[in-house]
Amino acid sequence: MASPATSTGSTPKRPHADWRAFVAAGCFLAAASAVGADPKLLPPEQAFRFSARALDDRTVEARFAVEDGYYLYRDKLKFAVEPTVVAIAPPDLPAGKVKEDPFFGRVETYRGDVVVRLPLAKAVAGQSIVLAADSQGCADLGVCYPVNRQQVTLAMPAAGKGPGPVVEAYPRKKNWFN
Amino acid sequence: MASTLIRRIGIAGLAIVALGAGLYFGMRDQVPAPELVAAAAINGLALPDADGKERRIDEWRGKVVVINFWATWCAPCREEMPEFMKAQREFGSKGLQFVGIAVDQPDKAKQYVAEIELNYPTLVGGFGAMELSKTLGNTLMALPFTVVLDRKGAVAHTQLGVFKPDKLDAIVKQLL
Repeated sequence: MASPATSTGSTPKRPHADWRAFVAAGCFLAAASAVGADPKLLPPEQAFRFSARALDDRTVEARFAVEDGYYLYRDKLKFAVEPTVVAIAPPDLPAGKVKEDPFFGRVETYRGDVVVRLPLAKAVAGQSIVLAADSQGCADLGVCYPVNRQQVTLAMPAAGKGPGPVVEAYPRKKNWFN
Repeated sequence: MASTLIRRIGIAGLAIVALGAGLYFGMRDQVPAPELVAAAAINGLALPDADGKERRIDEWRGKVVVINFWATWCAPCREEMPEFMKAQREFGSKGLQFVGIAVDQPDKAKQYVAEIELNYPTLVGGFGAMELSKTLGNTLMALPFTVVLDRKGAVAHTQLGVFKPDKLDAIVKQLL
């Protein structure tokens, strides 16, 4: 009895089967390498982006943009200004999130945006000042950074004018999306 | 005619390969690999311990040395130190030696070492020690950072962040 000319079980090869397998293998490898990769950590100047602007000729607004997954210690924030004759009056730091640390006891930390108003000892209309900010923080992944200093140079507005533009210590690099 | 040309091209090709090989092997001896430079730097490091006595890392040569950069202001560092003390107790007699390097003020480091009764030596390096850790791969200069040296003093592993006990255990057991 003659058997019909049909397939005997194995499926016929489709023309695109090879490249599909290749793409699937590539996706698998990419996913596997992502799972196994070390956590990506940011350098402190990117994890805790510092910027400032002059509000008027004797007041500066300092800002930290803290990336998700990172935090700053409130009691480690310090500000200084050059020339020193316009010294900053003790800043009124915003309240942080209180937590009981097993090693340090009661600590206050900042996440997200931290804005601090800094009154200068005297007006410096039309002059330039350098504002330096010391901060210390950690990543939730279990890594801490030593005290990090960032600074900006601000052109103070004339008397009765302001606010001035925001100046970033480490401007973000431009990419195709901004 | 054609065969002469082919022979000449072949000879010129061989000469180029020989020149490249000569340059490569010659330069290889003169320019040590970065990891060798870093290993030499860490092995030759001399710093005061918590009591002010100068110690050198290579005095522990022949043992598996786990060098832990830490600081009192670093909570994750404090978190992992009891695990290191435990491993020191467990594997010390088999040739494991932990050595701390405090990126801190000497009085603060000394006080904390006494407080937790640290069972291995710690050196006090200040911020200069952080610069050294950078050459060993701690490019972010963050803490904790740990370097494992094999018995010959070569860098076997570096770890940024808390060293999980099971991972430490596996690496150390392989080297002992």
